[in-house]
Amino acid sequence: MVELSMQARLHAVLRRRGAPAVVGAARSTIRHVLTRLLPVARPQLAPRRLLLMALLAAASLGAASAVVAILESQLAIPDASTVYIVAVVVMATVFGTMPAALTAAAAFVLYDYFFTQPFLTLFVSDSVEWVNLVLFLLIAVVVGRLAALQQERAADADRRAREARAVFAISRTLATASTVAEAAPAVLARLALDSGTARVWFAVGAPGAERTLLDSAPEVARPRPRSHWMLLRTPGDKPAQWLRTHVGADASMPPGRPAPSQQDDLFRVKIEADGSTVGSLWATRPTQAGVPNREETRLLALAADQLGLAVRRDELSAAATAAEVARQSDALKSALLTSVSHDLRTPLAGIRAAAGSLMDPEVPWSADGTRETARAIDVEADRLNRLVQNLLDLSRIEAGVLRPDHEALDLEDLVESVVARLAPLFDGRSVEVDLPPNLPPVRGDAVYLDQVLANLLENAARHAGRGARVLVSARVIGAGTSGADAVVALLIEDSGPGVAAEALPRIFEKFQRVARGADESRRGMGVGLSLVQGFVAAMGGTVRAGRSVSLGGLAVEIHLPVDELPLDADDPIRPPAEVFA
Amino acid sequence: MTDGMASVLIVEDDESTRSLIRANLTAHGYVVAEASSAAEAFRALDAGRPDAIVLDLGLPDRDGMTVIRRVRSESTTPILVLSARDTEAQKVAALEGGADDYVTKPIGLAELRARIAALLRRAGGPAADGSGVLALGPVRLDAGRRTVTVSGRPVDLTPREYELLKVLLSHPGRVVTSGRLLRAVWGTAYAEEGHYLHVYVSRLRRKLVAADPSSDVRDLFAAEPRVGYRVRSP
Repeated sequence: MVELSMQARLHAVLRRRGAPAVVGAARSTIRHVLTRLLPVARPQLAPRRLLLMALLAAASLGAASAVVAILESQLAIPDASTVYIVAVVVMATVFGTMPAALTAAAAFVLYDYFFTQPFLTLFVSDSVEWVNLVLFLLIAVVVGRLAALQQERAADADRRAREARAVFAISRTLATASTVAEAAPAVLARLALDSGTARVWFAVGAPGAERTLLDSAPEVARPRPRSHWMLLRTPGDKPAQWLRTHVGADASMPPGRPAPSQQDDLFRVKIEADGSTVGSLWATRPTQAGVPNREETRLLALAADQLGLAVRRDELSAAATAAEVARQSDALKSALLTSVSHDLRTPLAGIRAAAGSLMDPEVPWSADGTRETARAIDVEADRLNRLVQNLLDLSRIEAGVLRPDHEALDLEDLVESVVARLAPLFDGRSVEVDLPPNLPPVRGDAVYLDQVLANLLENAARHAGRGARVLVSARVIGAGTSGADAVVALLIEDSGPGVAAEALPRIFEKFQRVARGADESRRGMGVGLSLVQGFVAAMGGTVRAGRSVSLGGLAVEIHLPVDELPLDADDPIRPPAEVFA
Repeated sequence: MTDGMASVLIVEDDESTRSLIRANLTAHGYVVAEASSAAEAFRALDAGRPDAIVLDLGLPDRDGMTVIRRVRSESTTPILVLSARDTEAQKVAALEGGADDYVTKPIGLAELRARIAALLRRAGGPAADGSGVLALGPVRLDAGRRTVTVSGRPVDLTPREYELLKVLLSHPGRVVTSGRLLRAVWGTAYAEEGHYLHVYVSRLRRKLVAADPSSDVRDLFAAEPRVGYRVRSP
């Protein structure tokens, strides 16, 4: 009956796990036990751990024995030795295969001693009982091993899951960040955490000329040991290996001072993309931690590759941006050519037509008619002249060769002179000038400022419509009314249709013809406002556009630095000077 | 507006420009002589002294400045310079070298005529001593008493403003360069005052206008950017 029960148990085990699993388990058990018995450098068991093991073994064996005793004596169960298997499984789960095997052996001894005839001896009278005991030992050891394997596998799966999470996090960070530099801190921190490294840095460049791009601890000097470990990766499924490399063999050492002592080992993963070396990932680990294990190595290799890809992506993105900029600049040049073509040819066409008809002997011209036509030629020629000058100024602004004077200017004087000169443009409208009486002088260039004012007033005249109001006003803003920070704000507003809010930011761009109200026919190349901006900037001022609060149309505000006159010390009356030099 | 039989010498190498100017001036009663180079100009000057000279600075054989120097060495004949745009340095050099005014190409013929007429109209030479009276438009400056009036009303000027006005009034119908103004008022060692010239002149103008807002004193002198100031002709 006992045999049956043992056999039954064996069968049960075989059915559940399958023969190969049992055989495999048996094989691995023997290998495991042997490797542990052989003197191999293994981390020594801490005495505390041994004590815990002994305690748990004692406790579980004791408990098992008690249960067996109860089962066999009180409940008359003939063979309750399988209860010890529970103890073995407990030890296997907590401490692994070897302790479980030892516990199985201890259980064997205990059962022999306490529960096998003759009691309280190790001698077994019945040979069948002996076979049962041995079978029990085998099963206990195998089950222990299976339980321990299960535990190891669970731990393994845990590590793999952690590794996968780390890999995913790094990939995701690099994929979603717009540049490597942005993603770096998160990536390096994660790497340091999950690969057991103390410090990580990433350098780009050819071997021997690497430049550190990212560092998890940038303020600390980087170590320079005489040798470092390099990851040798071979194509195919062979796992990567760490190779110790000495300086001289590969002269691409990290920049930094030589480390005074070697508590840390330095590890390096070369990154290659498109067949060329992108750079290296460097990491330091405490020497006693040894070489990174498989998961850590995989993580470092993956991070290195991902960083390499991200660097490549950044380079491509920069190239794409540059190409786009070039494309847009080409587009602008086309716009310029189109604009120039049209806007210069229009007055030319008018001039040629007028001149042609004046020259035509068939056309009966009256004196007035002739004069009118000639005047038209003059007006168109003047317009052409101004357009050409605008283009020249614009190209000078673009080339950055403006050389503005910096003198103190009286704004009232300038404004009045421009308003007077442009009066013909405004017949039917009024230009109101409202300047405070003691407006301080501003620093600028008289010619540029004149042109700025003229452009803005011409703009207002052109767009504001008949009868619209135009107002030029100014006020002082900034530290008191003098001193280095004081600024004069010059405001030109009109009561015309204004410019839509969404078009305002681009209003100063070249060749923009922004729709103002329903008037689609606009003269001019659209360079007036960008000239204004260029000139104002050259003088050290700022300009912005918005909606006029008081008049409802466009408001352009220019800020220019105040250039206050030094206090006028009254000098004694000079003798009459020689006026002709 | 013709000027009797005043004679004008045109020195300009561009044939079409020269003939256009000649035709126009002739139609308005001027006697016109032409020269297309500095050498030709010298020959013309040897032949007879014109009442006014229109001179293009960009001559083929020699710098227009040489013509100015030659003329100035002999006379105070008014010289009107034709200049291209954005050549301020050239203009200033010409004005300081003795030219009286300039016109920027492309030339408006009406403007050219007006300037020539203004040059021919101006009163003799400037007052050489400090005791005379300088008058232009509604402004009277009495150098002896150091008083200034606009339409008879007295104006209170600072010493600098007074000197500025004096220099300006001494050059009716001409362009006075900033350099000349600064040297006259501040002496050759002027430094940062040049920075504020525009403000000084503007303040001077404001005071004159305030004395008689109804007069046209505001147009007495007009800023010529980067060059100086053009003084109205009497």
